[in-house]
Amino acid sequence: MQELFNIFIKSIFIDNMVFAYFLGMCSYIAVSKTVKTSVGLGMAVVFVMGITVPVNYLINEYILKPGALSWLGAQFKDVDLSFLSFIIFIAVIASMVQLVEMIVEKFSPALYASLGIFLPLIAVNCAILGGSLFMQERDYQTVWQATSFGLGSGLGWFLAIVGIAAIREKIRYSNVPPALRGLGITFILTGLMGIAFMSFLGIKL
Amino acid sequence: MKALRKYLDKIKPNFEKGGKYHWLWSTFEGLETFLFVPNTVTKSGAHIRDAVDMKRIMSTVIIATLPALFFGMWNVGYQHYLSLGETTGFWQNFIFGLQKILPVIIVSYVVGLGIEFYFAQIRGHEINEGYLVTGMLIPLILPPDIPLWIVAVAVAFSVIFGKEVFGGTGMNVVNPALLARAFLFFAYPGDMSGDKVWIADKADSYSGATPLGHALVGDFSHLASFKDMFMGYIPGSVGETSTLMILIGAAILLITGVASWRIMLSVFAGGYLMGLLFNLWGANEYMQIPAYYHLVMGGFAFGAVFMATDPVTSAQTNKGKYIYGLLIGMMAVLIRVFNPAYPEGMMLAILLFNVFAPLIDHYVIEANIKKRLKRVKAIVNS
Repeated sequence: MQELFNIFIKSIFIDNMVFAYFLGMCSYIAVSKTVKTSVGLGMAVVFVMGITVPVNYLINEYILKPGALSWLGAQFKDVDLSFLSFIIFIAVIASMVQLVEMIVEKFSPALYASLGIFLPLIAVNCAILGGSLFMQERDYQTVWQATSFGLGSGLGWFLAIVGIAAIREKIRYSNVPPALRGLGITFILTGLMGIAFMSFLGIKL
Repeated sequence: MKALRKYLDKIKPNFEKGGKYHWLWSTFEGLETFLFVPNTVTKSGAHIRDAVDMKRIMSTVIIATLPALFFGMWNVGYQHYLSLGETTGFWQNFIFGLQKILPVIIVSYVVGLGIEFYFAQIRGHEINEGYLVTGMLIPLILPPDIPLWIVAVAVAFSVIFGKEVFGGTGMNVVNPALLARAFLFFAYPGDMSGDKVWIADKADSYSGATPLGHALVGDFSHLASFKDMFMGYIPGSVGETSTLMILIGAAILLITGVASWRIMLSVFAGGYLMGLLFNLWGANEYMQIPAYYHLVMGGFAFGAVFMATDPVTSAQTNKGKYIYGLLIGMMAVLIRVFNPAYPEGMMLAILLFNVFAPLIDHYVIEANIKKRLKRVKAIVNS
């Protein structure tokens, strides 16, 4: 239990997807203009990560890992399918995103309209694929650990995008040099937020 | 005074539109309004008629930092001679500290104001006074032995990337003084942390660790007494050591109404609360030190009084201020106790919640809108 909680906290704050690894930047920058839409996208990412990471964990554990297929019979114990992991992870993620898209369209057409192209695009959000690949690399022991890692990473991403959206709403009235307006100032802001998030760097859990 | 006024009036046409030095207008205007109260008034919108403008507010903050600054100068000398094992008089200590700190202040002002003037000139806006305070706060939160070129680099970074890219005073997201310190902390850790830097020109055999440095490595037998830490007879950054002097500054700020008492109160409350929680938990020796020790150790008081209350980067709503302050206090103590990488958590805690202050405000305002809508609906329905 303690272990699960530690993984959860660690993936939100210390190994934050945006500020520690700079993953998922495309939708993070493109959809962070208002808090409302960014909350919507953030929730979608939490949902997708919370489901894809454990599902990919099970696939990795029972199909892809070297020797994972030994449950089929002794003759399969040398099979190593890990070269397939990228394409299979992406397939799982893409189908999950389709599911989320249908749910959002059904229950919140306004959010669906404001997210626009970015909702299908979270299929290629690097944070989400990154989550699955980190899961594979870090060798989590149980599916629960993978789930808490997925949910935590999603929440960390959610926190990042909502935070920057609020700042961008505030600096809309600032006299930013014309050349920096939009993308430029957002990159600088992300860097400043990264400095602030370094407060968690080095905490051992 | 009159001659100066006359002279300014005489050369003024050269800088106005059509004059030959028009491109230097914002420099001239900045100097003129610094010397005299401006005689122009705003032309549109709602106004409040008041003698207090931004320049006077900034001056109040600078006056409030003076007790901490003078004590810091004395303390730099005191710690220096203490490490050499000599006992010296008040003035000798003070003059040694003055020699150490005055160059830092001058470098900070020259570099920062230079950049500010340059940006104002190029972008064609007036020169703002925000840097007067930042330029005073930066020397106060640096170790006394800091090389001057490092001060210049940090000031340049924080003024450009912390402030000018957002459009100058009043538009920045993070506190520029803290940004300068954080930049140095991560870029030049050798000059910003460890046991070597907190006492100027100290003798090699003398341990120069701050109370927080002792606490970080678990050495609680060398922890200074509460009285010493409160009075400030400890090594540390220039302005942060004496909680007493900082409280005098806080009184000035609160009486003149420049800083928000809500933020100060809730930062101290948050730190104390977290200290109490750790006392209850008590898993290691650091968690067992009395909760009020956290309030006088390191930069906690300085951050709470001068940094967290910055009206631009803190939360703007009243409810938001309580939340913002409480979270800063708790996070600062949390980082101190939990994070083995950093001895002090105040700087990063304030930066972190500078970043999240707009979000806090956003939700406070949303909640208020919802509440009022509900009230309207109740009236309409009844």
